[in-house]
Amino acid sequence: MSGTSHPAAPGGVVPPVATPRPGNAPGPGRRRRRRRISFDRASFFAVALLLPLTVYVIFVISPFAQALYFSMTDWSGFTADMAFVGLDNFARLLGDDKFMRAALNSALLAVIVPTVTIVLAIGVATMVTVGGSTTGGVRGVRGAGFYRVISFFPYCVPAIVIGLVWAQVYDPSRGLLNGVLTGIGLDGMTDFPWLGDSRTAMGASMFVIIWSFVGFYTVLFVAAIKGVPGEIYEAARLDGAGRFRTAISITVPLIRDNVRTAWIYLGIAAIDSFVYMQAMNPGGGPGYSTFVISQDLYQTAFSKGQFGYATAMGVVLALVTLLFAGAVFLVDRITGGRDDVRGHA
Amino acid sequence: MSTNKFTEGRLAQAALDRRTFVRGAVATALLAPLGGSLASCAVPSGGGGEETAAGEMTADNPFGLVEDSDVEAVIFNGGYGFDYVEFAAEQANGQFPDVTFEVSPSTQIAQELQPRFVGGNPPDLVDNSGAGSIGFNTIADQLEELDDVFEAPNYEGTTIADTLYPSVKDPGTYNGRFVALNYVMTVYAVWYSASLFDQNGWTAPATWQEAIDLGAEAERAGKKLFVWGKEAATYYQTMALDSAIKEGGDEVRLALENLEPNAWSHDAMQGVLEALHEIVQKGYFVPGGAGTQFTAAQARWSNDQDALLYPSGGWIENEMKDATANDFQMTGFPTPTVSDSPTLPYEAIRAGAGEPFIVPSEAANPAGGKEILRAMLSAEAATNFSETRLAPTIVRGIVPEDGFGSTALVSQTSMLDAAGENIFNYQFVDYYGMNADQLVVWNAFLSGDMDVKGITDGLQKISDDIAADDSVEKIEVS
Repeated sequence: MSGTSHPAAPGGVVPPVATPRPGNAPGPGRRRRRRRISFDRASFFAVALLLPLTVYVIFVISPFAQALYFSMTDWSGFTADMAFVGLDNFARLLGDDKFMRAALNSALLAVIVPTVTIVLAIGVATMVTVGGSTTGGVRGVRGAGFYRVISFFPYCVPAIVIGLVWAQVYDPSRGLLNGVLTGIGLDGMTDFPWLGDSRTAMGASMFVIIWSFVGFYTVLFVAAIKGVPGEIYEAARLDGAGRFRTAISITVPLIRDNVRTAWIYLGIAAIDSFVYMQAMNPGGGPGYSTFVISQDLYQTAFSKGQFGYATAMGVVLALVTLLFAGAVFLVDRITGGRDDVRGHA
Repeated sequence: MSTNKFTEGRLAQAALDRRTFVRGAVATALLAPLGGSLASCAVPSGGGGEETAAGEMTADNPFGLVEDSDVEAVIFNGGYGFDYVEFAAEQANGQFPDVTFEVSPSTQIAQELQPRFVGGNPPDLVDNSGAGSIGFNTIADQLEELDDVFEAPNYEGTTIADTLYPSVKDPGTYNGRFVALNYVMTVYAVWYSASLFDQNGWTAPATWQEAIDLGAEAERAGKKLFVWGKEAATYYQTMALDSAIKEGGDEVRLALENLEPNAWSHDAMQGVLEALHEIVQKGYFVPGGAGTQFTAAQARWSNDQDALLYPSGGWIENEMKDATANDFQMTGFPTPTVSDSPTLPYEAIRAGAGEPFIVPSEAANPAGGKEILRAMLSAEAATNFSETRLAPTIVRGIVPEDGFGSTALVSQTSMLDAAGENIFNYQFVDYYGMNADQLVVWNAFLSGDMDVKGITDGLQKISDDIAADDSVEKIEVS
């Protein structure tokens, strides 16, 4: 209920979120009344702030607080009894080789999956928007719409289905992959267990995760690139910049906020990775090479009946995720990113 | 919003008031139950389930099931399905027409029922089986003792205990309390195609040396001896354990069950592992098992016949029903032994009751859960199970001579008969939930990435870690 009305903002300055005004011309008297705590205002705050806050506290904050408490108990998960054990569970995690291996794998995923996905997605997005013919207007390659659509396909398939399908593709003797490889004469690949060899299991699993995400992030970056004025690309081209140079020096800096957001989302998804890993290697893979924290948590909670200890793993997982997001922001800030909305070019 | 200019201001005000009032009311309505649930989130104080008052116990109603009560059963929907319990519930319904029986399937017992155990309102009967089952070390003391089920008469009037195979209580007894009724009699053996063996003049190997020789024969025929899948690599552990126990006797079994140091280093166990290692090294396993889904691997044995032998429990015939070659004649034989003079005879087998049914103490109607069990142990439901699932139950004398036309079922009963008293069983793997960790080691060993010392150390470490973990309640086996 803003008292002053904004003129249409031409300079790209976005007006504060407009709330609908009851009546269309607030008089000066109304202005004064605004400052009093009337039933109106109180009830408005109650409804607009208190209610969401309550819902937030109940459904977000309280489970977090509870999880923190459970992580300091020896709760089995199947009774209402538990004993408080302080930080024992966390101390135990440090000496747990299997958990440490899982944490290492999750960290590996958090570094590699977002990096590769984003590079590929930016590459595809560039090609379908501005990477086309260098004569005439700035446009994507021929058939850009088609590529955009097919690159999005994997994202429409549920992750569990992707995992199961690829597990079949990787099958040593009957799988599509080895069928193709041996078909073109690579006999060394006969019966090679892609998901059963500790040298390839993680790489093969990462490939599937990346494959499933590239399409969506391509679409995201396409939208971002469309927001960049075409003149900039035309100017770059006149100055003699090639496709690669344009992508590195024009596209990436102009959509860096999108890239940062994508990095965080992808990192969170990669640190988790539960569905993919559980579908392809439910046991954690050869020598635990694809075992991730979320799988350890699941096994510890449901098959070992140690919910307290499992919750401690969950708390660590949450901390790792927060640290990851923090690290991405920090790197972004150090390399010159800004949070405030100031025109980009 | 009204556009009447005359009363615009007031009307807007009034509308706003009315609107805020409505919202306030909605908010209050929303908040009241939320506030309540905040207090009782996730861990309620327990004892929530409404207890059904116990009825009178008579010969026809041995557990005092109350007329008009409701009975709820949650059944693991795996290899055996869940409709055999529905069948039994119908039988029970015939005895108690006014009781409502509800049988529902689940594939994730632990996840689905965990909140209900915590909340104190678990179902009256649970088939706690499958990969997502609840570890017995976590819930054993929250379960009803089931001795009275065995003491009750079945629907034919015979005391149930008198109709069962021996020692079927053992696998469901934890720290002296019989709390899990294992319904299906599972025989662990090595399986082959009798027709294929006849055609080639092969015989089932009785020792590991014979198995290795058979591997060479298989190679000449362009086949392999064994095949494995990544989720089922530990079937070879079961086979190795059985063979080692036959070789070294009870001392091997007890050392392993009681998580003793160096239990896996016993000579008998080492003898088996060395034989298996030789088979791996000679390339008698279908390669790539660590990357193959287990039913796909099993189909290479039962359907494609690329491998001659497969170690498994008696469920294998039912599991591979749709992927078995015509005229396969699936037949089982006891696990090969290390030497010609093992402590237990060659005919000794691991057999035990499986599919544990439990009745939670906090269930609303435990008598109803027990009544379904009573129906399951009566002739009609037991026959229905064996006939449709091709597996024996713990009830004796149900399977006819022709095994309902199943060679595997016939060989299970004949192996049981041949073994006589030499039937053994162990459950430390399931009890402590060790399978997931052992799978990783076995996959590496069968892939050829690990030698005998490597697998011995790997398996011993898994046992040692549990032995050293004070938070895990141990069971003493003797």
